[in-house]
Amino acid sequence: MTALVPLTIAVPLAVAALLIAIAHFIPPRLADAAALLAALASAAICAVLAIHTMQHGALTYWFGGWMPRPGVVLGIGFGIDPASAGFAAFIGLLIAATSVFAWGFFDEVHAHFHVIMLLFLAAMVGFCLTRDLFNLFVWFEVMSVAAYALTAYRLERPSLAGALNFVVVNSIASFMMLGGVALLYARASTLDFEALREAIARAGDDPVTTGAFCLLAAALMVKAAIFPFHFWLSDAHAVAPSPVSVIFSAAMVGVGLFGLAKLTLDVFPNATAPQSFAQGGFAALGGLTAVIGATMCWMQRHLKRMLAFSTISHLGIMLLGLASLSATGFGGMLAYLVGHGLVKGALFMLAGILLATQPGADEITLRGRGRDIFPAGIAMAVGALLLGGLPWGILDAGTQLIGATSSLGVAWIEGTVLFGTAVTGATVLRAALRIFLDLGPTANPEEEQSPTEEEAEVADRPLWLMLAPCVFLLALALIPGEAARRFLTVAVGFYPKLAPGDLAASGAEWLPWLSVFLVVALALSELLRDRFPTRVLVARDALLRPIFFGVRSLHTGLVGDYVVWLMLGIAGFACALAVV
Amino acid sequence: MSVLPWLVAAWLFCVGIYGIVTSRNFVHLIGCLSVCQSSTYVLLLGIGYQWGAVAPIFYDHPPGTPAVDPVVQALVLTDIVVGATVTALLLAMALQVSRKHETLDPQKLRPFIDEGRR
Amino acid sequence: MSTRLRLALFAVAQLCLLPAIWKIARALPPFGNPIEIYGRSIDTLGPPLRHISNMVSAVNFDFRGLDTVGEEFMLLCAVTGAVTLLRGIRGEDRGAKAERLPGRPLLDRAESTILVARVFAPLILLFGLYMVLHATVTPGGGFQGGVIIASGLLLVYLGEGYDAWRCLAPSRVFDAMEGGGSLLFLLCGLGPMAAGGVFMENLLPLGSIKDVFSGGLIVIENASVAIAVIGGFAMLFLEFMEETRAAETENER
Repeated sequence: MTALVPLTIAVPLAVAALLIAIAHFIPPRLADAAALLAALASAAICAVLAIHTMQHGALTYWFGGWMPRPGVVLGIGFGIDPASAGFAAFIGLLIAATSVFAWGFFDEVHAHFHVIMLLFLAAMVGFCLTRDLFNLFVWFEVMSVAAYALTAYRLERPSLAGALNFVVVNSIASFMMLGGVALLYARASTLDFEALREAIARAGDDPVTTGAFCLLAAALMVKAAIFPFHFWLSDAHAVAPSPVSVIFSAAMVGVGLFGLAKLTLDVFPNATAPQSFAQGGFAALGGLTAVIGATMCWMQRHLKRMLAFSTISHLGIMLLGLASLSATGFGGMLAYLVGHGLVKGALFMLAGILLATQPGADEITLRGRGRDIFPAGIAMAVGALLLGGLPWGILDAGTQLIGATSSLGVAWIEGTVLFGTAVTGATVLRAALRIFLDLGPTANPEEEQSPTEEEAEVADRPLWLMLAPCVFLLALALIPGEAARRFLTVAVGFYPKLAPGDLAASGAEWLPWLSVFLVVALALSELLRDRFPTRVLVARDALLRPIFFGVRSLHTGLVGDYVVWLMLGIAGFACALAVV
Repeated sequence: MSVLPWLVAAWLFCVGIYGIVTSRNFVHLIGCLSVCQSSTYVLLLGIGYQWGAVAPIFYDHPPGTPAVDPVVQALVLTDIVVGATVTALLLAMALQVSRKHETLDPQKLRPFIDEGRR
Repeated sequence: MSTRLRLALFAVAQLCLLPAIWKIARALPPFGNPIEIYGRSIDTLGPPLRHISNMVSAVNFDFRGLDTVGEEFMLLCAVTGAVTLLRGIRGEDRGAKAERLPGRPLLDRAESTILVARVFAPLILLFGLYMVLHATVTPGGGFQGGVIIASGLLLVYLGEGYDAWRCLAPSRVFDAMEGGGSLLFLLCGLGPMAAGGVFMENLLPLGSIKDVFSGGLIVIENASVAIAVIGGFAMLFLEFMEETRAAETENER
């Protein structure tokens, strides 16, 4: 069984190297099939490992046969537990679904797209499974490099500008991460998670380890797009080709958050300052991110940008779950990661379908144009409702568990979760109703004037081929929450430092329905706004305009501003950690 | 004196960031990013250094001679690859940007001109 | 944000960070006296267990070989990405002429340039090979040597001009080297598994210390890294050079 561990990364890497070497000589369809099979194989191996570890306990694999010697860990190890292996399997499955979705999408250049996708997959799997801090950095970097190349793939003006913002901000993050690794190495002279944990416990309250935590957490939060590090995400996700956006929103940012969770729970559980910062600071940042993301989401008319901001909001909600440092919250975060990934992946695929069949992905321009492809509309409405808290499936299990964490008062957390869920769900539903049912006021000079740029993706695939993986993901998202909870009960048991919690917990029965009601009400209130008396509209605008204006003016799209925000964030961390 | 290398690392990082924040040309910005990165080289190599020790190569010196930490040097080697790859990608992007539209000014380059509505 | 506001906020952030940086700098082990449990263990175990004298190579290829796997594929990924980005609309055609900027005179290459390039190209190639081969004994290694060899190729461009460079540097050879080298490196990991060991376990005969071919599996790993790096960097140079090619059709511009 242990022999399977290195194969999780070796299979996609080997296929990628082979494809590069012989891509000139093979038909493009073969590359499609090879990439799909490699992703499925990696996912299957990870799933087998997850099930095995559930039954037989955690596995450790030492590369090169360098078993630890007394007092020193010589090599690099992979640590397999159900949560890590399960999440890695989910990523493999997602990449497989995406390669079906992208079948034939990237024919021009000798399988280069497939090669980068497979390397992306291997990097994310390695990131989830490794138990060595520098190795974590290496996979983090491979993942980033793959993402950079994929973002700019279209070579249009917006995609290049978005990719440049993305690269600059994330590169600075990776330097900070390496700085954190270096500080920990200076203090502990080891890079292994377990050895680091013990060394940090010995070091006690130490500025070096606290500083290292500050740098590492900030770097991972850049990847996970947490306020004030989130600005790059909406640029990058909105301009990348749709199949790439699927992976970005559904897997990559989640991987960043998973890394942050592992770091907090596996490496720093014995450090007092980071732990108390995690409880207070993570919760505050998560709440802010959820609210800002949802507000920005509501303001968008470009579908992919809308979905990108909704991802930011949901990442904030997940961070709220982690902040409790309890089994309930961590389990909730894991369920939410997977559930959100499935739903958001499906929604980005739908945006891709619209881009391939219609001129652009602008909600207003596309009004009523989706009638010919109404099955996509049904899928989009289901996705919007799931995003908005429909009490069914994995995402709902996550929402329930996160809502039930009580580190900072249930009402506060549930309120924030409700706001993020309802507003993002309502926005997507609004777009779906407008595009597929032709709802909404038709004449509004302000809106007609400023359409987003026209864009289109290749439309050489039949609708069913694009819709099938999307429906598959939605179907997976509808797996009953009970099954997810059973898995999570075992999985969180592998993190003994968590505060004990109840994995069957759920919030009030009426709360999800309130959320769904809000989703429908908000969406309809926008679409039917010309039925309201003018005075109501004027009052609404007077109330909301300043808020919208304020939030929007933060998102300037300029990389210099983003870097200033990043520095302010780090400075905030340093101040908070000095105080707690 | 014993804190000087760490302060140099911090200074390099911050001065690189200053350059990025005020940059008016993307090629300059890429250079600043490399300055930022060199702070990690200084930090890592500084951490492994030992007074009076030789390089971790036991060709002229017999094994057992005190040597500086080989691990950080290997880490820096990986870090250099990171720098090279990211710089290559960034330069390729900058090249395409300058082809597509005349400016290379980061303060004029936004992915979206029209932000939202209302 | 205006530049002034940006700078003000940046200064605020720096002011907040200063005390933290000072505190960390004071708390770090003083420069020159590291806590080096890990490094010293490798210095002690490397020569007797792996029969090689370059400990940096021992870390890179053996103790922490997986990092180098990641590093190698990071390079592969970046080269693939850069090639995709640069080719873009340009395509991969061959046999075109170098671009001439209107108004700039076309001077012949100075004979001294040609001489220097012709003399130094083989020397640099030789030096690169020396660096690659001595990875296990003296400072050097597949990565460093590979970069040197690949940059030696640039001298061909400098000395012989664009057309000769095009003839000498076919992209599919570099693709094959890059992919094949990475694949070989991965097989160095998978091979020992087929023989019943674990990933990257060094099962080959180790040779004697200070010999060029000491270190067992490390020798093969080093060679595969060199092949992949030569292919990768040469590919990068090639694609950036292609930018100087004259556009053939209007819409390539």
